[in-house]
Amino acid sequence: MRIVLIGYGPVGARFVEEVLPLVREGRARLTVVGAEEHEPYNRVLLAEYAVGRADRERLELGDAEAAREAGVVIRLGQRVQGIDRTRQLVRLGDGTTVPYDRLVFATGARANIPTLAGLERPRIGRAAARADAALDGHSAGLPDGVVVLRDLADADTVRAAVRERRRVIVLGAGVLGMEFALAAREQGAEVVTVYHGDAPMERNLDAGGGRMLAAAARAAGVIMTSHSRAESVVLSTSDDGHRHFDALLCADGKQIDGDLLVLSCGVAPRVELADRAGLAVSTGILVDEELRSWSDPDVYAIGDCAHIATPVAATDQRGGGSTVAPGQHPRVTGAPSGLIGPGWRQAAWLAGVFAAELRAGERPALLPAERRPVVMLKAEGVSVCAAGELGADPWASEPGVEVTQWVDPARGRYATMTTRDGVLTGFVCAGLPRLAAELTLLFERGSELPPDRSALLALDGSAPGHGALRSASPDDVVCSCNGVTGRAISHAIACGSATVREVGSATRAGTGCGGCRDRIVALLDQAAESVADVLPAPVG
Amino acid sequence: MDRVTTATHCPYCALQCGMSLGAPAADHPGIPVVGGRDFPTNRGGLCKKGWTSAEVLGTPGRVTRPLLRGADGRLAESDWDTVLDLIADRLRASRREHGADSVAVFGGGGLTNEKAYQLGKFARLALGTSRIDYNGRFCMSSAAAAGNRAFGVDRGLPFPVTDLDDADTVLILGSNVAATMPPFVAHLAGVRERGGLIIVDPRRSATAALTDDGAGIHLQPTPGSDLVLLLGLLHLVIAEDLVDHDYLAERTSGWEGVRRSTAPWWPEAVQARTGVPVEQLRAVARRLARGRGTFILTGRGVEQHVDGTDTATAAINLALALGLVGRPGSGYGTMTGQGNGQGGREHGQKCDQLPGYRSISNPAAREHVAAVWGVDAATIPGPGVPAIRLLRELGEPGGVRCLLVHGSNVVVSAPDAAAVRTALERLDLLVVCDFVLSETAALADVVIPVPQWAEEEGTMTSLEGRVLRRRRALDAPDGVRSELWILRELAARLDAPSVWSTEPSVVFDELARASAGGLADYSGLSHELLDTGVAAYWPYPTGSTGTPRLFLDRFAHDDGRARLVPVRARAADDPAQRDGVLTLITGRLLEHYQSGAQTRRVPELQDAQPIARLQIHPATADRLGIADEAPVEISTTRGTVRCVSQLSADIRHDTVFLPFHYAGAESANLLTEGAVDPISGMPEFKRTTVTVRPVGGVR
Repeated sequence: MRIVLIGYGPVGARFVEEVLPLVREGRARLTVVGAEEHEPYNRVLLAEYAVGRADRERLELGDAEAAREAGVVIRLGQRVQGIDRTRQLVRLGDGTTVPYDRLVFATGARANIPTLAGLERPRIGRAAARADAALDGHSAGLPDGVVVLRDLADADTVRAAVRERRRVIVLGAGVLGMEFALAAREQGAEVVTVYHGDAPMERNLDAGGGRMLAAAARAAGVIMTSHSRAESVVLSTSDDGHRHFDALLCADGKQIDGDLLVLSCGVAPRVELADRAGLAVSTGILVDEELRSWSDPDVYAIGDCAHIATPVAATDQRGGGSTVAPGQHPRVTGAPSGLIGPGWRQAAWLAGVFAAELRAGERPALLPAERRPVVMLKAEGVSVCAAGELGADPWASEPGVEVTQWVDPARGRYATMTTRDGVLTGFVCAGLPRLAAELTLLFERGSELPPDRSALLALDGSAPGHGALRSASPDDVVCSCNGVTGRAISHAIACGSATVREVGSATRAGTGCGGCRDRIVALLDQAAESVADVLPAPVG
Repeated sequence: MDRVTTATHCPYCALQCGMSLGAPAADHPGIPVVGGRDFPTNRGGLCKKGWTSAEVLGTPGRVTRPLLRGADGRLAESDWDTVLDLIADRLRASRREHGADSVAVFGGGGLTNEKAYQLGKFARLALGTSRIDYNGRFCMSSAAAAGNRAFGVDRGLPFPVTDLDDADTVLILGSNVAATMPPFVAHLAGVRERGGLIIVDPRRSATAALTDDGAGIHLQPTPGSDLVLLLGLLHLVIAEDLVDHDYLAERTSGWEGVRRSTAPWWPEAVQARTGVPVEQLRAVARRLARGRGTFILTGRGVEQHVDGTDTATAAINLALALGLVGRPGSGYGTMTGQGNGQGGREHGQKCDQLPGYRSISNPAAREHVAAVWGVDAATIPGPGVPAIRLLRELGEPGGVRCLLVHGSNVVVSAPDAAAVRTALERLDLLVVCDFVLSETAALADVVIPVPQWAEEEGTMTSLEGRVLRRRRALDAPDGVRSELWILRELAARLDAPSVWSTEPSVVFDELARASAGGLADYSGLSHELLDTGVAAYWPYPTGSTGTPRLFLDRFAHDDGRARLVPVRARAADDPAQRDGVLTLITGRLLEHYQSGAQTRRVPELQDAQPIARLQIHPATADRLGIADEAPVEISTTRGTVRCVSQLSADIRHDTVFLPFHYAGAESANLLTEGAVDPISGMPEFKRTTVTVRPVGGVR
């Protein structure tokens, strides 16, 4: 089986890793086409790389060398010019063609460029093959000092600016924007975050969570500029004719000066190539729950470019002619999740399907529908985490729905938990890291919350093991090696044991690891004092 | 024999505390007086189990005559010739009619080195069977497999326990030493003072509580997520460039693959899987890399899983990345559980192994051992099957029809205990050697009474790989015979080749010769030398003075390097915790040991912990309508346990804990499943999905 994979990002790399055994067994031949010159890297950590907190090595993913040794053909720095689905050929930029039996798209997503005066916004050209390149990252025709943060080239630009502690403006306060802003600030850059809403991460947090995050970011030294709709960029032109970013202008007339503008305005799946090949696309490349294109049974999509939906005309797809008309399906609901976890699961699952086919084994069970994702801000010292339904009203009396809140702005702590019939269906959590971790597990498993929600809040309490909440009792075990209580030791002392050794002989306390001897001494001292209290003071 | 004080070691765990046995007190005849003896592992201290250990010697349930199941179905006293003739006849017939592998041996990690060695030899030469394995499969197999894979050798602690005294940081994953080997805790006093004790446990166990008051950090992950936790710690160590690059270059291979394998486990992803907050992960990663005095130790909590070998490997990878292994003052180790869990896995009880930790598949190893035994190497059977597969073969067509059990109580200690009981009942012949009528012995066709620890001579190898002398303080009751005698008698009746000494010191000398040149080389040792009190850490080849610390110069692989092996976490598949569905972990109590066959017979221990109690978080109990000290029912598709609840905020909300020391309807292993680690054969003991409900309806 000849498999061609388009895209060698994190999801593509995982797919290669999973298919490798089939390549080694000689059952599959795999060709990988990657547009970037680099070996695959972990895009999730790109912001950390961009601020200088992670080095290039840490971003490495997958073992391209091992794949090559196994016989995988990896073509880096190559763009796919076109796909001939009738003859099952992929045409590359250098004019060569690669035949396939199965074609897998893992083309991912690209950063959105907002409409700002002064920025040329590349049009999405359906026809021009070169438009792909023009649309992507660093080569997007942006002026110097304006970047998106999507690939290594972008990250290198940002890295230089942060290293020189320049003034960085971040446009957009979504998860990625906030993560970058906090990390850049931590590394010493001056950071201004500009967003037009009331609070950061509005898509992921409720009002309380957003306020907590804004406060935490301000406390970390990020200048948070809310209610600001960016309209244009101010550019200066240097002597050699290069235009360089100088300032951002907002609708209310505010001018925000800076050395670097980082655009963090969301991403969009790369679908142009699939679209030109006549495959059904909507927000992403339309595939069924088996990750198979609506339009072609030999074509698959995984990761950020894959838009999983039930085909609108779900008749026989295998019978040669497609019953779904090619072209845009703008009204298909849903979208790629934009998260790495589902992409990796899809990569592993699809490799399993191919393996089952080639080894005549059992097909893996269908991937379960992804739960709504848990969003967790990656930032040192700022704990913000949320998932599921937001903004339910604690006072509304919808049957079965309960909302519990904890609001403590002075200490930066906030939590909202929503349950339906006792099962956690949404939460927002700030400044309560242990609670956030537990709610994540409860949410992902679809578990019930305890009726006493305060038991969960106690997880972040200051008392280790809630010890401070419980006063010492004589029935507490003092010598754990021998299970001897304070009461038993006091009894031995009352019966005449006067030293640690004698207490040990009488009760075995202190005869194991010896860690409790100080406490036995304290009990002996206490007993001596109480005896002294009742004895007459020595005379003279 | 004379009744002066005898210097020996405790019968229970692998710490093998130094113990003295003195003459019985006048009012307690037959029970020697136990004293703590100054020894490096325990420095004179003993725990409650040790102090009361002599009580078992006089227990009313002691078996002192061979028992034979009669036509009426009852066990009745018999005589030695009758039972030995009967066993030999039945074994010979089974072998003739159904082949040699129709007879199997199941050993134990509590047997002395001499008995374990002789049992392996007996299986191969007298029975000609490949079917031998032991309860260490439930104990050390995952860590052993990981250690062999990484270092080329498996010695639980490759350094003396006392090295921990000066540690700056000690990370213990999945071990509750404060309950299971209490005197060990004394070796953590220094690290606690330095604030560097890190405990990973889903419960705030007695050991986890040792981190209170600034003594360290307790991480409380959800059960079964330890592998992800370790991958995440390594990810952070790499991210913060805390890696010892020179060490990796000089002493290891495979780093690149391991480095890449940690890529998917950035701290937030780890938090989402484990429940351990990012800030704790960072604090631990930084602490581990602070200075050189760091030790990483694993226990059954992380090893008794279907991915136990990979989890131990992840811990080793972390230790190697930090450059801890093979340097004085730092290291990786696993805490062996059973008294001779170390020696018991070195000398031939394992299905794939010959004495000296040799592979039974290696032609040179077979030749060497065959020469010591005086047989043709071709007569030694090949590798058998690990414990769970062996138990599954019992009574099945083409499987095992006769089973000899030595020092193990499988109907309590093996997973899916009900299935094990059914399998034992299918056998043609079940022979159990024990000193009490354990739950397994009670099912036997023949019960053979054997001596207890204080009644025998021999050697044990402790958790630190030190070979120790066990000494006789008193004679066994009349009618009891040693295993060495029994094996000799059976070998003679089965016309086995080779010699079968009944003298432990002679058997040890043979073991030493058989182990010569192997990984666990005892050839320089003898009872005589050990009696001088020498600190004998193996390998101890002839002419050497032993090896207190392994790997100082090289690892045991041919190239001298440690191997870093990339491991991957399984997909998350934890069930929804609704309607009583929770995750069960099992483990031990301070007062009891293993299946409880001994400790449940000690009144002081049994009075302190008379019944199984299910530890459950009060908030979870509240949700399920379970009160404190109330009857509860815990069930899986395999079985149901009825016991009493114990509400405690020391356990995670999603987890319940049940000790595995109890029998009957309280037996925790009625619930566990027989799924095993593909590499080590270790069963999944520590992550069982169960349904918990109050008995008598929701209150």
